[in-house]
Amino acid sequence: MKRTLQRSWLIFILVIAFLVGMAFLVVETVLGASDWVDQPYNGHIAGAGGLLEAGVISDRNENVLAQTVDNKRVYNDDADVRKALLHVVGDDSLNISTAIQSQFRSQLTGYSFIWGLNLPDSFRGGKDVDLTVDADTCKTAYNALKEYDSGACVIYNYETGEIICDVSTKTYDPADPPEITKDNEDEYEGVYLDNVLSSTYTPGSIFKIVTAAAAIENIPDIWDRTWTCNGKEEIDGGDVTCVEAHGTMNLKEAFGHSCNIVFAELAVELGEDVMTETAEKMGINASFKISGIKTKAGNYDVSKATTHQLAWSGVGQYEDKVNPMQMAILCGAIARKGTPVIPYLVEGTSGSMLKDMGLAGSASNGEKMLDSGTAKKLKELMRFAVQNDYGDDMFGGLTVCAKTGTGETLISEGSDKNDGWMVGFAADKDVPLAFACVVRGTSDYGYSTAGQVAKAAMIQAAESLRNQDDD
Amino acid sequence: MALVMDIAVVALRMLLPLYTIVIVYQCFASMRRKRRSERSLVLLQDTETGVKTPVLFWENSIGRSRGSDIAVDDPAVSRDHCVLLRRKEGWFIADTGSKTGTFVNGSRVRRRTQVKIDDIISIGNREYALKRGDEFHEELKSSWFFSKVSNKPAMKSYKLMILITLFHIFMGVEACFCNGAESFKEYWFSPVFDPLYICGALVAVEWIYFAISSFALKRVSFEIESLCLFLTGIGVMLLVRQDMRSALVQLIAASVGMVVFCALIKFIENPDRIGKWRLIIMIAAVGLLAINLVFGKVTNGSANWIQLGPITIQPSEFVKIAYIFVGASTLDRLQTKQNLIEFIIFSMVCVGALALMGDFGTALIFFMSFLIISFVRSGDFKTLILALTGAGAAAIIVLRFKAYVLDRFKAWRHVWQHTQDAGGYQQARTLTYIASGGLFGVGIGNGCLKYVAASESDLVFGLMSEEMGFIVAVTIAIAVASLFLYARSVTTRARSTFYSISACCAAGMLVIQMSLNIFGATDILPLTGVTFPFISAGGSSIISCWGLLAFIKAADEKTYSLKVKQK
Repeated sequence: MKRTLQRSWLIFILVIAFLVGMAFLVVETVLGASDWVDQPYNGHIAGAGGLLEAGVISDRNENVLAQTVDNKRVYNDDADVRKALLHVVGDDSLNISTAIQSQFRSQLTGYSFIWGLNLPDSFRGGKDVDLTVDADTCKTAYNALKEYDSGACVIYNYETGEIICDVSTKTYDPADPPEITKDNEDEYEGVYLDNVLSSTYTPGSIFKIVTAAAAIENIPDIWDRTWTCNGKEEIDGGDVTCVEAHGTMNLKEAFGHSCNIVFAELAVELGEDVMTETAEKMGINASFKISGIKTKAGNYDVSKATTHQLAWSGVGQYEDKVNPMQMAILCGAIARKGTPVIPYLVEGTSGSMLKDMGLAGSASNGEKMLDSGTAKKLKELMRFAVQNDYGDDMFGGLTVCAKTGTGETLISEGSDKNDGWMVGFAADKDVPLAFACVVRGTSDYGYSTAGQVAKAAMIQAAESLRNQDDD
Repeated sequence: MALVMDIAVVALRMLLPLYTIVIVYQCFASMRRKRRSERSLVLLQDTETGVKTPVLFWENSIGRSRGSDIAVDDPAVSRDHCVLLRRKEGWFIADTGSKTGTFVNGSRVRRRTQVKIDDIISIGNREYALKRGDEFHEELKSSWFFSKVSNKPAMKSYKLMILITLFHIFMGVEACFCNGAESFKEYWFSPVFDPLYICGALVAVEWIYFAISSFALKRVSFEIESLCLFLTGIGVMLLVRQDMRSALVQLIAASVGMVVFCALIKFIENPDRIGKWRLIIMIAAVGLLAINLVFGKVTNGSANWIQLGPITIQPSEFVKIAYIFVGASTLDRLQTKQNLIEFIIFSMVCVGALALMGDFGTALIFFMSFLIISFVRSGDFKTLILALTGAGAAAIIVLRFKAYVLDRFKAWRHVWQHTQDAGGYQQARTLTYIASGGLFGVGIGNGCLKYVAASESDLVFGLMSEEMGFIVAVTIAIAVASLFLYARSVTTRARSTFYSISACCAAGMLVIQMSLNIFGATDILPLTGVTFPFISAGGSSIISCWGLLAFIKAADEKTYSLKVKQK
């Protein structure tokens, strides 16, 4: 009998295995429950794509962007606002995974781990989400952007972190979502992507900000140097070209004219290691968390590049890629003496759980991207570019520092369709706004395409912000 | 007003888990009590030295081996020399193939021979006199499970039953007020109160059974039955808002199960009689599986059902009981017939037949049970490793030649990519609704998992969790697992190793089955479609669970001891 007892330890092992399994299940449940709930088939939140019970989403001025009325999810009255904020707010489906209605679904539906989804209404607490965006600015940006195949425009307050404008095209009306079939899928290609957060583009000349930063920090006599541009120069057996012969110039002028030859030469002189180090430090290869949503990381990798390719990488070609949100953050860092405030989208969720406190409504500093001296110099360069090349009245009296760029994209090879960029910030104390705009599929340069989007959006954003202060 | 109602609903929902924990605790607390104190039944006194050796168990191995219940340090004694055992008629000794033989009062014994008090037993060079147990005065230690038990009497059985009944009535009332119940009012014969009819029937069954057990069968203990009635009742009440008919069927099947439970306990009352039935049971079990293989009805990919007129039964569930019969054995038989060949062949037939039917879950349960029984019988790690290697090889061969088998498990750990196909449909919904239920559940009848196929059987852990809350579901699971603790704690008090082995194995089977059910539905293991003991809907399943419980109940000497005294 004693032996039987001893041997029954084998079953004890089974019971322990069972308990370990249960512990694993409990941990999985605690970690995963809020994701598990957010399924389109979930009968407890059925109807309107599971948003029947969801609360109100509103912008910074308490304009309702989405709400449930009579068992139906209703979006903003203005079709342009609906289309402009599709990627921020989301629609009835879960197709736009970075949208608030996908990411904050459990908060919107009043889910909590302890009570699940069936807490009586009187206890369920508010389920509303307040955003930092300004509907008017987004609408303006959208109207400027819709001229082009696709694009993105982001503006954020680099002092507080609030995202004022976040518009991505292609888009559609969430009140009347299209049925995407084989026939029209080209027309809607990439429509579920928020280009601000989830796309990267070839930067073109806006990458000269990075090359300039590397030069300022690593070449002591950089401000005494001059270069001569004849429109074309051979580097490592291949040509680097400029749109025109810029003649003799110093760094400031080279930045203003956006001279490829100067920055290509600088990249080669600085070398692979310094360029990579600077790009890393400025967050080009990093991903940022915006209210819990990760941005797509850019790319600067010259480890396999020839010298000729290294030269082109210095002017934002080769395999360089950047993300609009990350460029806005970089501009914010330049405006703030090198340390950016990480933007956020969600001002607050009413009755939100402890868990969300880290996510919502608080500005946090990012890692230092530049020395304050370098930031100051870059600011001067970008300011000079606006004053000298784009005209200081372009932004309606705002003290804007910016850089344009035109990325030659592989997909448009053989055609003259490019990615046009403008990134920068307003140095005005009352409207501390950083922006990044990109449009795809344009034959013109960044200034005349993305520049116009940035201009319209920035003027509107400044006006909205100033009106708000007056109130 | 609405606020008051809401507060009441929330308060009740929070009480439910607490109530469950109290009941489960009480069931196990009672199991620890009312146990005879640790004392020597008889004792063996060395005639030369006068040293007294206590005899603690109903069946005691005597031998040179240190693992023996009574170890004799004498080179003339075989490792497993003989067995001293107690039966209704008194004490017996049986030689288990010793080299030098066992003698009682000078004459050599071969078969089981009765020994009386003051008889002299000679083993090797030693001589022992059999004395009464009360001549032994030293203190004996209890195992931790039973030590430190307060002297306060455990909760009276009937009080525990009242607690359980109230719990089921509470579930019935909750089901009456489930969402959408108002819409039933338009019927003249209001189905709003349907749950109460079933609940009434359930309570009646519980108390009738309690009365039979305490008055007709005169059993002193009722704790395991209480726990399992509690679980069975939860299973029935979970069904009322899903399908009234299956709730009723479940209740009837459970009643049959209770009858089977009592009959089995009676049948195994004499552990020596079972040996004669072994072969018949074995043949019957193989026959059942053969019929199943020939006439099996394919449902959900496995052909483990047979149709008998209006009822479908799952023979593999009943074979589980037969399996334990064949596997367990009394100590003297165990020591004389060390080889497991017969049992191994029987196991291979069972597992093979189930694999052919495509019922991998049950096949796995049998295989694991085989490991348990063969190890508890022989203590032989070699058999264990050999069996595992064999099974591994068999699995590889199956996957090699029947790759489609693997397809059934392709969604495992990837269910979120398979929410709309058969691979992960059920598991994803189980997880979603477990999360939707939160810690306290959405209330009986308010769940959504009930619309998913097999929610009342394979996914019942999810259903329970969604409607009654995660805490209740986990508590119930732990309660079933704790049956093993109980089975193990009565191991040495059983009247024969037959009961010890069968109780441990039955509890092991229940734990394995429950693990496969819970972890299959929640995507921790592949979904194999086995039932949750006592809770899942399924007539064959619940009958077999009560049948398995009989082995655990029989292992407790209290089950029979009082009756012996009354005779």
